[in-house]
Amino acid sequence: MALLERAEWYDIARATNWTPTYVTDSELFPDVMSGAQGVSAEKWEVYDEPYKTSYPEYVRVQREKDAGAYSVKAALERSRMFENADPGWLSILKSHYGAIALGEYAAMSAEARMARFGRAPGMRNMATFGMLDENRHAQLQLYFPHEHCPKDRQFDWAHKAYHSNEWGAIAARHAFDDLFLARSATDIAVMLTFAFETGFTNMQFLGLAADAAETGDFTFSSLISSIQTDESRHAQIGGPALQVLITNGRKAEAQKLVDMAIARAWRIFSLLTGPAMDYYTPLEHRKQSFKEFMQEWIVGQFERSLIDLGLDLPWYWDKMIAEFEYQHHAYHLGVWFWRPTVWWNPAAGMTPDCRDWLEEKYPGWNDTFGKCWDVIIDNLLAGKPELTLPETLPIVCNMNQLPICAIPGKGWNVQDYPLDYNGRSYHFNSEIDRWIFQQDPVRYRDHMTVVDRFLAGQIQPANLAGALLYMDLAPGEIGSDAHQYAWVEAYRNTPRNKRIA
Amino acid sequence: MAMFPVISNFQYDFVLQLVPVDSENSIDEVAAAAAYHSVGRRVAPQPGKVVRVRRQGAVEFFPRTARLSETDIKPMETLEFIFCDA
Repeated sequence: MALLERAEWYDIARATNWTPTYVTDSELFPDVMSGAQGVSAEKWEVYDEPYKTSYPEYVRVQREKDAGAYSVKAALERSRMFENADPGWLSILKSHYGAIALGEYAAMSAEARMARFGRAPGMRNMATFGMLDENRHAQLQLYFPHEHCPKDRQFDWAHKAYHSNEWGAIAARHAFDDLFLARSATDIAVMLTFAFETGFTNMQFLGLAADAAETGDFTFSSLISSIQTDESRHAQIGGPALQVLITNGRKAEAQKLVDMAIARAWRIFSLLTGPAMDYYTPLEHRKQSFKEFMQEWIVGQFERSLIDLGLDLPWYWDKMIAEFEYQHHAYHLGVWFWRPTVWWNPAAGMTPDCRDWLEEKYPGWNDTFGKCWDVIIDNLLAGKPELTLPETLPIVCNMNQLPICAIPGKGWNVQDYPLDYNGRSYHFNSEIDRWIFQQDPVRYRDHMTVVDRFLAGQIQPANLAGALLYMDLAPGEIGSDAHQYAWVEAYRNTPRNKRIA
Repeated sequence: MAMFPVISNFQYDFVLQLVPVDSENSIDEVAAAAAYHSVGRRVAPQPGKVVRVRRQGAVEFFPRTARLSETDIKPMETLEFIFCDA
């Protein structure tokens, strides 16, 4: 029997709106779940997804993708990647899997909300596929690291991280709850698919895929490339939703959602991708600096997407671009110094050659971040590793749940951005983080940071051992220097002023 | 005598830190407690200098011998710790 071309039946098949008779429209699509912002169902029907596919087409393509990713894994299982890879690269894998795998399950739930409560039939159709995508991503990113668990317990954190009170896991949960688990279908379309996925997942998935191939980890490279092809499809759910909102006079509301989501996504990626690209990836395998990548993908490309849709650049755009120069360096220094509190082994990335590269990519690095690393190196050379470990907690931002940090040394600009609200003092990393809180204080006010929990007596004993217990970091999982400080030897017998080429 | 947590923003360091002190500590003792977590760890010592304490954004320093409880500093307030000539 001859089959019709998809284009001949697609529009009719996905026209799934109807007039309910047993319940009211508002009962079928409660605004708290749909987030339609008062735009009527008829006006949402003009929603036109740019990428169209049918279920048979989707299944056929996905099957091929899965077959490709699993085949590469099977073929390379004897490649001894685990044994031969640089420890810094293994740390990238561990941090990635722990931060992302269960986040994909959360994203599946968010796609499901769009599939049920999306106001536009096309959105519901696309989100059904998106839901299946995210399920695939979660399963892939739990299965692939599983083979390494018997050799290295830190890989178990692919599954464990989100079930713990480890500080990075708290930060990821806080951001993902805010961006897509505790949001309406329309908010999810804007905040998850448009801002987070169109804007930022390229960072983690395209950038790291290139670095993985360079490093020789073709299993990981093919895995995340496979995932990215799904992301680039279902990320297109958000654009037409924004068009509907803007056309119907809801630009200010849409702009606010976009601005909040970009700011939150930027923090997550500066923590996760920044150190991976500029410190953990072995120097000879780095393709671009994190800053160059951000300038290409965020300033060069995503900025155009915002303008083309009729949105403005976020009010903080220049401030965020200025942060490309330093924020991830500060997070890296913090993660390395508080290394017992993470589930991977941070690579310092601090050989003299690495520092030359950092100075070239980020002029002034040696006079700022380099000053802190000089003291750390002196302590390691002097046989005082205890001075390179923390004895207190960093203050954590009440929005992004990450340490409040910025530029040290000659460019010292560290600052608290405090706010008193309803008798409680809050602390933020920047004006941007504080602004997000002020948009909806009732939403955020009751969350307790790790520091708040410590001061409330929830972490016992009140010391590093108690903190590790609270974070569920067991022996064998606690982070240490990825290269066991071997990089420090390059500085022995080298005067300080010779360290900087 | 009561535990009094303050936030240390130490000159030339990169991060804010929690510093638990006592309400009866002098400002110099608070400065020493903050220095313990920064100087010699990520901030190079500056021999001959003293560390003075001021409210974030302020110009004036608190008197070095004042008790914390005698000042209007609140728990979990962010204080700047600045190297000064002795």
